[in-house]
Amino acid sequence: MSAPVDAPWYRPFTATGSATVLHVDLAPHADREAEALERLNPEERERWERYPYSGPRRQFVLCRAALRAVLCEQLGCRSDVLAFPTSEHGKPWATVAGAPAPISFNVSHSGRHGLIAFAPEGRLGVDVEELVPRRNLELLMDGVLAEDERREVAATAEPERLRRFLRLWTMKEALLKAHGNGLLLDATTFEVPAAVRRGEPRGKLRLPQLPEVTWEVEDIGDEQFAAALAQEVDGEPGPDQAEPR
Amino acid sequence: MATTEERLRKIVDDNLEVEGRSTGAPIDLDRNFADAGVPSPDIVAFWKLVNEEFGVDISAEQFAELLTPRDLIAHLDAA
Repeated sequence: MSAPVDAPWYRPFTATGSATVLHVDLAPHADREAEALERLNPEERERWERYPYSGPRRQFVLCRAALRAVLCEQLGCRSDVLAFPTSEHGKPWATVAGAPAPISFNVSHSGRHGLIAFAPEGRLGVDVEELVPRRNLELLMDGVLAEDERREVAATAEPERLRRFLRLWTMKEALLKAHGNGLLLDATTFEVPAAVRRGEPRGKLRLPQLPEVTWEVEDIGDEQFAAALAQEVDGEPGPDQAEPR
Repeated sequence: MATTEERLRKIVDDNLEVEGRSTGAPIDLDRNFADAGVPSPDIVAFWKLVNEEFGVDISAEQFAELLTPRDLIAHLDAA
């Protein structure tokens, strides 16, 4: 039996527009992980067991337990009636007693940092990347940046180059996650707005794959990690969901 | 001559940084990397490195639809 955990491992991080973002502390902590595991439902515990590596296992259990706590508080429901079906492309959404819950959320983690974003309406995505050196930075730039973005990042000296790249990466990932199709969209096919690339904290854009929708991206990073939030502008009220499997 | 699986495992060993994975550990051929918790930058790097190693031009969309390493091996062996 592990010792009781005396404080939550998650805390409010920022709020922007209609969205609230929590930070989840993902540092190794056996007691927290044991308590978090007790808060998961049987399907989630099976998923936890299936992770082959210790890092992803810890990230999942600490983030999912925090997500359960905050959504139960927001929705006024018990944890045992809260479930997370996934869309065809793997994006989870929330149901309460089998009915779609009126809340949008998204989760991201990198190293010791997790972020949970939630809002009452519209699609949203969040992404976080720890500011640690990447061994394949040139390949990553080639894989996700459009031509102008790649040129700008390549012209930046280290260590600012890594930060500048991850700032764009998290914005693009957050957009792809908000869209819901993840890696099925080629991130080199769209650009973060030029003003945002020059340092503006937020900006609006449309994706060529879904031109009728406007998205807003915002830099929410700090000195330890790059992070971004993407939200559908004028999103319809209701859950952030696609058709369930 | 190394098999396709051996060449993929070398790319994984040399490039993927997943906490808790030891170098040389076998790859679960039937589980996609995202489900195994591999971070998305590592997945993108893996995609680019596979294209370099095998001299192919698998697009981001195609790569995302190759769900497991076993699917990827079959695709590369058929190319």
